[in-house]
Amino acid sequence: MTPLRMVSAGLTTAVGLALLAWLSAIPFPQHASNEARLRLSFSARPERIEVCRTLSDEELEKLAEHMRQRVSCEGVLATYTLRVDVDGKTIGESVVRGAGLRHDRPLYLLEDFPVPPGEHRFRVSLIRREKTDNDAAAYAQAVVPEVDTGLYAGRAQREATEHARRAGAAIPPSLVLDTTFVLPPLRVALIRFNSERRALELYSEGSSKR
Amino acid sequence: MHFLKRTLRRLLGGTEALLSRMYGWKWNPMHQAGTVSALMLLVLVATGLYLVMVYRVGDPAASVARIAADPWLGSWIRSLHRYATDIFVIAAVVHALKMFSQDRSWGPRTLAWISGLVLFGIGMVLAVTGFVMAWDSFGERLAREGGRLLDFLPIFSEPLSRIFAGDGEVPSAFFFVNLFIHIAMPLGLGVVLWLHISRVARPVLLPPKRLAWGIVGALTLVSIVRAAPLGSAADPLRLVSTTPTDFIVAWWLPISEKLSPGMAWSLALVAGIIAVLIPRLTRRPRTASWAPSVVDPRLCTGCNQCPQDCPWEAITMVARTDDRPTLVALVDPALCVSCGICAGSCAPMGVGPVGRTGRDQLQVLRTETLPGLAGAPVMPLVAITCSQVPSSQVNAVRALGAHIHSVTCVGNLHSSVVELFIRNGAPGVIIFGCPPRDCVGREGPKWLQERLFNDREAELQPRVDRRRVRIGTMAPGHLAGTMAAYNAFVRDLNQLDAPVRESHVDIEIECEPVPYEDPSE
Repeated sequence: MTPLRMVSAGLTTAVGLALLAWLSAIPFPQHASNEARLRLSFSARPERIEVCRTLSDEELEKLAEHMRQRVSCEGVLATYTLRVDVDGKTIGESVVRGAGLRHDRPLYLLEDFPVPPGEHRFRVSLIRREKTDNDAAAYAQAVVPEVDTGLYAGRAQREATEHARRAGAAIPPSLVLDTTFVLPPLRVALIRFNSERRALELYSEGSSKR
Repeated sequence: MHFLKRTLRRLLGGTEALLSRMYGWKWNPMHQAGTVSALMLLVLVATGLYLVMVYRVGDPAASVARIAADPWLGSWIRSLHRYATDIFVIAAVVHALKMFSQDRSWGPRTLAWISGLVLFGIGMVLAVTGFVMAWDSFGERLAREGGRLLDFLPIFSEPLSRIFAGDGEVPSAFFFVNLFIHIAMPLGLGVVLWLHISRVARPVLLPPKRLAWGIVGALTLVSIVRAAPLGSAADPLRLVSTTPTDFIVAWWLPISEKLSPGMAWSLALVAGIIAVLIPRLTRRPRTASWAPSVVDPRLCTGCNQCPQDCPWEAITMVARTDDRPTLVALVDPALCVSCGICAGSCAPMGVGPVGRTGRDQLQVLRTETLPGLAGAPVMPLVAITCSQVPSSQVNAVRALGAHIHSVTCVGNLHSSVVELFIRNGAPGVIIFGCPPRDCVGREGPKWLQERLFNDREAELQPRVDRRRVRIGTMAPGHLAGTMAAYNAFVRDLNQLDAPVRESHVDIEIECEPVPYEDPSE
């Protein structure tokens, strides 16, 4: 390699490497500086809406022995209307339901709403659309204590406990969060479901709740 | 498609010419694009071994920040890992575009093309998972976009994107799976790389040592001088104005972010289908210059030279059907790329693509070329040029008075052609081929050198004065080099006596195999 070529090769390499270093870390815009977000994110089990009835002895006879359950319940998971209001203006309204093809999986919610930074009143509601009973209530209504004897002794109580536990772990028929807070620029205010309190709650780093 | 190919060839040719001017053709990285990407894989494995030892799945952002802050080792090794990724992507794309523009993406090369696409795809997944591992603002952006796209597919029971929503810590399991993909996939990469080169004989996996060390050294230098920046640690509840984005790896990000997941997948699917169909869309009819080689069993002596020289392992030796005791060459048309290198390897001139065997080459010389030159008072110097070399340089040599004789590849050229020119009074024959690592036939210049000067079959006969024969390289952008080689040859020829024109030259008969006689009879 001649000295001239070595110089040209060196220069080309330097330019190439500078280009590589530049292309490898170009500041690429993602969010405007006057942007903030309201994010709804949680997963919870929807209520199960059931219709229960007490089977007759004849009906039970037709079932295999291990399948004989006095109270039979059939149902689907509840659907909800989600509504998001900011300063009295609705910015989002949709029907949410359990995941999966048959909508029998837990409900997953992940939605971002762009909101200008500053103080706002946020109202988020998740209201059950179905007016019928949930599974615990339906079961309680249908169960007949006097038939819970013999082979079925104690089963009705166990079933009632299980139905109540399921209903207790599910989203309540009505969830509303109404709050005012200051959302700083480039921050996300997160609204999530607190499964212990069974209520929606706001979580935002640096936000001042009023 | 052919218009696209021509345009691409012109574009790549221009860049190649520029780089040849700057580095010289021997060190032009564009001629080595495939091997450069393989070299980068080695660099990535070596640097990755160190990084994986100091990376912590439980606290990814902090551990990468610690690596980046270590000026002695961590900072430059991480940067080298990052820059090697970028060079891998660039080199792989250049390699693919060159193969496409040079008509090397169909027929027997289909497997290499498809496996190359898979290699590239795996490489891109590895690059993206690598950035996610760092868990800075750019890694988070990639993860979010990846999650958004994957959630469109019915794969996960719970949307992947919820991991990054901020209603809890991003689970270590996510980083573990990401790390697992980042480490496990290179094993798959090795298998696909093997497939990629499985159909070529003597695959070249690395660039020449000087170039390889030069590239690694330059990348190390830039890693030390300008460490790859790390964005702010990812925080799902904070929005960032800008992310330091690696556009070499994430060139697709600005497009994808603007599209709905369905549209982004559709676009990727269409692009993928087109890429996979390239071998089908670009294939040529296997006639004329794309016709596969054939063997004339009457002429084949079973010397086993053509299977050795074939760069595609398309020729095997099989038992003869006649009573001669030797084997006979058999060409598999499905593997033959019509490079014609076998024709140059066959002393009795019994193999080669139709119209391009040694005998065909001599026939053209006798019936067309030599009669055309017979009228000239003095036989001109002959320049045999590969059809792939830049036409501007061929014209420049022609302008200096040389007679141009074109061949599809210098590896296809039979040494008898050179002999016939010399014995017909040509003062000299200079053969201009492509840069050896950029030969469309893969090994044309290498075998030509061996055949003309190192007695490899079919060798140039001892009766030919080697001082009248020279090999040169015509690289794009290297006109000065071509001119210098030509002028030096002319100067050397001027030192020799005047050439002698033989009245009768019958090379084919001299090369005819001795008829077999069974000694038992």
